[in-house]
Amino acid sequence: MIALDRLTRVFQVGDQRVHALAGVSLEIEAGAYVSIMGPSGSGKSTLLHILGLLDRPTAGTYRLEGRDVTGLDDAAQAALRRDRIGFVFQFFHLVPHLTAAENVELPMTLAAQPPAERHERTDAALGAMGIADRARHRPDQLSGGQRQRVAIARATVMRPALLLADEPTGNLDRRSGTDVLQILERLNADGITLLIVTHDPEIGERARRRIRMVDGLVAEDRRRDDRRREAP
Amino acid sequence: MRARDAVHLAGRALARYPGRTTLVLLAMAMGVAAVVVLTALGEGARQYVRGEFASLGTHLVIVFPGRAETAGAAPAMFGGETPRDLTLEDALAIGRHPSVRHFAPVIVGAALASFGGLEREVPVLGSTAELLAVRRWHLASGRFLPPGDPRRDSGGCVIGAKVRREIFGAERAVGQWLRVGTSRCRVLGVLGSEGRSIGLDVQELVIVPVAAAQRLFNTPSLFRILIEARSRDAVAEVKRHALATVRDRHQGEEDVTVVTQDAVLATFDRVLQTLTLAVGGIAAISLGVAGILIMNVMLVSVSQRTPEIGLLKALGAPPGQIRRLFLLEALVLSAVGAILGLGVGLAANAGLRTLYPVLPLRTPPWALAAALGTALGTGMGFGALPARRAARLDPVDALAHR
Amino acid sequence: MRSRDFIRYAGGSIRSHRLRSTLTALGIAIGIGAVVLLTSIGEGVHRFVLQEFTQFGTTLVAVNPGTVTTHGTPLGVFGTTRPLTLGDAEALTRVAHVEAVVPLAQGNAEVEAAGQRRRTTVFGVGPALPQVFQIPVGAGRFLPEDDPRASRAFVVLGSTVRRELFGTANPLGRRLRVGGERYRVIGTMERKGQVLGFDLDDTVYIPAGRALDLFDREGLMEIDLVYAEDAPVDEVVAGIRRTLVTRHGREDFTITTQAQMLEVLGNVLTVLTWAVGALGGISLLVGGVGILTIMTIAVGERTAEIGLLRALGCGRPQIRALFLGEAIGLSAAGGLAGLTLGVGGAQLLHALVPLLPVRTPWSYVLLAEGVAVLLGLLAGALPAERAAHLDPVEALRAE
Repeated sequence: MIALDRLTRVFQVGDQRVHALAGVSLEIEAGAYVSIMGPSGSGKSTLLHILGLLDRPTAGTYRLEGRDVTGLDDAAQAALRRDRIGFVFQFFHLVPHLTAAENVELPMTLAAQPPAERHERTDAALGAMGIADRARHRPDQLSGGQRQRVAIARATVMRPALLLADEPTGNLDRRSGTDVLQILERLNADGITLLIVTHDPEIGERARRRIRMVDGLVAEDRRRDDRRREAP
Repeated sequence: MRARDAVHLAGRALARYPGRTTLVLLAMAMGVAAVVVLTALGEGARQYVRGEFASLGTHLVIVFPGRAETAGAAPAMFGGETPRDLTLEDALAIGRHPSVRHFAPVIVGAALASFGGLEREVPVLGSTAELLAVRRWHLASGRFLPPGDPRRDSGGCVIGAKVRREIFGAERAVGQWLRVGTSRCRVLGVLGSEGRSIGLDVQELVIVPVAAAQRLFNTPSLFRILIEARSRDAVAEVKRHALATVRDRHQGEEDVTVVTQDAVLATFDRVLQTLTLAVGGIAAISLGVAGILIMNVMLVSVSQRTPEIGLLKALGAPPGQIRRLFLLEALVLSAVGAILGLGVGLAANAGLRTLYPVLPLRTPPWALAAALGTALGTGMGFGALPARRAARLDPVDALAHR
Repeated sequence: MRSRDFIRYAGGSIRSHRLRSTLTALGIAIGIGAVVLLTSIGEGVHRFVLQEFTQFGTTLVAVNPGTVTTHGTPLGVFGTTRPLTLGDAEALTRVAHVEAVVPLAQGNAEVEAAGQRRRTTVFGVGPALPQVFQIPVGAGRFLPEDDPRASRAFVVLGSTVRRELFGTANPLGRRLRVGGERYRVIGTMERKGQVLGFDLDDTVYIPAGRALDLFDREGLMEIDLVYAEDAPVDEVVAGIRRTLVTRHGREDFTITTQAQMLEVLGNVLTVLTWAVGALGGISLLVGGVGILTIMTIAVGERTAEIGLLRALGCGRPQIRALFLGEAIGLSAAGGLAGLTLGVGGAQLLHALVPLLPVRTPWSYVLLAEGVAVLLGLLAGALPAERAAHLDPVEALRAE
């Protein structure tokens, strides 16, 4: 469902040009469970941002669900982000003055969906995350693990096709971290394509497909059946 | 902590967020500039009026026919007719006093003036030679009415420059015969002075001998008697003498009002000062609003800098010092803003002065001091709450930023 | 996004920083309050002065000798070669649509009665005065329709003069001296009060012809008349002009209609009211800078939130709208509070100083709130724009 063809992203930092992505070509099928690893500066976060339509490549194309989305205007990309893509961040990024429930229903509110429908789906989502009793709490009244669950509920409430997670356990203790990963994997089992960016090998090894990036290029691309493929 | 270091720290803290600091300075500057300019306008008007009065001569005493019983009622701004007229003889009697330097009886009215084919209705002033001295006018050409017995019509007249232009055009005016109403007079001179007198543009006047005016308007009664006293101290004496003279001559009736220029000026002065105060006060409300903004921004600042405050406390700064540090920031904000506003306001004053040189625009010192004082006071006053909050933060919580 | 959700979201942001939002709105409130209070006073004075004027009725026309004016008064009042005469006044009664005419001469003289003396204004008028100036007679009657050139020595007293000279005793039929001449009191006027500085009660009314003799004058100071309500004013003025030009040979007089006087006065007062309002507006402007400052800070603080909203699929226009909405919400709330302050303050002032008239027309209320909203829009524009153009990647990077 994802096809990248010679994706390049160049940043201007001071008087230097930095090639965060140097021509990445990749295909990811629907329902995949992919981890993207690499040292800092390898371009993994940049890749995630472009996949999530938060950033535009300098060159190359990005096809999502068969459609070339590289050159879409801001409004169209926003719509895709809302409907087809879900984000989970390291620092949760919950809106501090909204309750857990209000945070979860935010994408639906943005989509102008009627309140009754929103409440229904929010309750379901929070219930699925096991934190229905925390619906009325504010983020500063929740633990790290609970906050990330709220974030995941928010990311999935619109039934996206693609779930992008950037260091989802980075701010959690071990127990909560494992819980969160299990939730993500369960969602993947239900059919959502899951991409996790991480620097932690233990987390990365859980994925069925492991991509390793170095200096803006794919250095390794292994699948669970241990077939190694080196990128050209 | 040394004062210089404290100010240095405050300055760095403010410079950290240049956007909001600039905006706060803008707000304070606007308020102060408004006060500076507006009070300058009020003061300028006041000085202008004083100047106008000064040009009339400061020892002026004016006699009006008619008197009002109730205080405050205008003593015959119109008409002022009385059964016993204020006459030329009355004026002569009043003028015969050692404390009187100059005096001039005045009759006003409107009449048709014509020369050649051109004619125009003009305001006519009937008076004597001394009018020139009393009003401090000067001539552009020719001479004024001749001195002599005012009961006789000397047959001359003096015209204003506008009258000259419109009736004589390019021709010479002095020496020509001008028809005024039903009679003629010879143009003796042209007035050079600008300005207004009893609401009339001096340049539009035709001045004739008082006897001529009496005949022209068919009335012996005077409109005013203008008197210039010899000195400031003589003014009261002249006023007393005028009232006594009229009483004597009008069978015991004191049917005139005597006004000293000082009294009129004093009234104007008071009114304009009050106006300036009011205007300045209203403008100063904006300083209060600027103060509220300072409080708001300082509160945000305190909450954003909680870890920093915790650190300071951990390093041993007592609460009083923390409070003073934040108060100083508020003070610096208001002081710098006020000074900026002062600069802008004074520059605006200078600019207006070049555009309208007729108004002596100068912000009175009390307004400057008040503006600065209010600005600093609001800054300090509104900085107090945030400063207190900063001082009261719990160090442990602050460092953990909860 | 639905409007209700939009409002809830913006409201939530505003409420989450209660003190900050209150202070920001307060700045606007003070500004609006000042403007509303000041313009209410101005408007009150405006209304009051106009009412003073129009109590004479709106179909009043004044004719004065001469065409040159000083301080708005025709100079011919003081001295003229071509006086307005009683004959002129009489001729004007025959102009089409004219309902009543009053010749007017004014002077200052001593009135003496029963041993009391008082210096007072003397109006020489005609019998139509009560009708033309709408001053009702209190007791007795007004001057009768005598031949103006041979009118009887009757006098009508203003209420103050009556009180000062006769106390509570009935003055009708009594004799008194006006400027040394003997007159008989045939009526007194009701209390009218002061009108634009003229004390109408500290006066006595005698026939115009007698006044001219008393003050040794040939000409009237003014001729006033009223015309029929439904008559076109231009026609009336033309008729007056024609009549007098025929009699004088040229147009050496000034005709002023009530409407003209009102217009000039009204303009002056309006300008004053607006000037005073502008003074208060300075505070409002500073309040606007306050909104700008706080919104700028808010955008800086909430970059992560903005980044998140963008990640969730919020488009640029929606982000812009959200922050604009917050700014407008603050200023609108401040505007309402300011309206309460301003109107309340005006009413309080009036209660403490009943002499001071205040009036807040609804149009001002709406205008004030409109200005507040506009200010929020303008002040919030820049920060909202910055928020909308925030790079989501950078925004999310910051925690």
